[in-house]
Amino acid sequence: MEIHRYEKIWLAGALLLIVGFIATVSYGAVGAGIAMVDDEGGQVDPASLDDHPRFGEPGTYQSGENEYDVYVVARQFLFEPGTSEPIRVPAHSTVTFHVTSPDVIHGFEVVGTNANTMAIPGQVATITVEFGEPTEYGLLCHEYCGSAHHAMEGKIEVVPQSEWNESMVVN
Amino acid sequence: MSAESDTEPGDVATPSGDAASENGPPIPDPESVDDEGYVIGSGRSGIVRRIDHDDFDPVGTLVLIAIYMVIVGAMWIFMYFVEFLGGDLTVIG
Repeated sequence: MEIHRYEKIWLAGALLLIVGFIATVSYGAVGAGIAMVDDEGGQVDPASLDDHPRFGEPGTYQSGENEYDVYVVARQFLFEPGTSEPIRVPAHSTVTFHVTSPDVIHGFEVVGTNANTMAIPGQVATITVEFGEPTEYGLLCHEYCGSAHHAMEGKIEVVPQSEWNESMVVN
Repeated sequence: MSAESDTEPGDVATPSGDAASENGPPIPDPESVDDEGYVIGSGRSGIVRRIDHDDFDPVGTLVLIAIYMVIVGAMWIFMYFVEFLGGDLTVIG
């Protein structure tokens, strides 16, 4: 088969684009340390979340120096904590969110950021993020979960280190 | 434009018997082809000028595709490195 020289040029260009796309995603995973949400959070019984040592009393737990675990139950149609009282984390800390649902599939999206995951009944989704300066983030359900899905929202407060105190953690 | 100007003499389509038998449809007399237009549906059907494979030179298409690839590449770089990696609260674990 005879291939025109221009076709060779744009075939090579298209291949270069594909290689470039794969290379940048590889760089993101290896160089920049971007992680995917996987199943490392394990499974829980969605019918007895109240008996779970952490999801039974969801909130912020300190797990190390400047490291925190936040357990969140997403249910129709609120985040617990998040909706009635904001999730509070200290500024400049590393926080791992553990999110699950007792009823239907929900979403957990920190609005305007790259942090989001599904909340699946029986499955714990874990995402680790680093918070910076004190600020406030919105929290949204981004998986349709029922008639009041559109009203399912909450708040994350990144509290200055100076205002952080023991009452803001569960443990 | 004369048919002979861009091609080898052997490549010029002529109404000769040899060319017609090699190239399928009968070739009209080049003298009958004019540039004054024609009624739709009554266009020329024969081979007027035969060129080599690489003599076809769609440089405009090449430029369009080059521009397209530059746009795609630039948008990818912006989307990934600026919008995504530069975004807040990236999942790291």
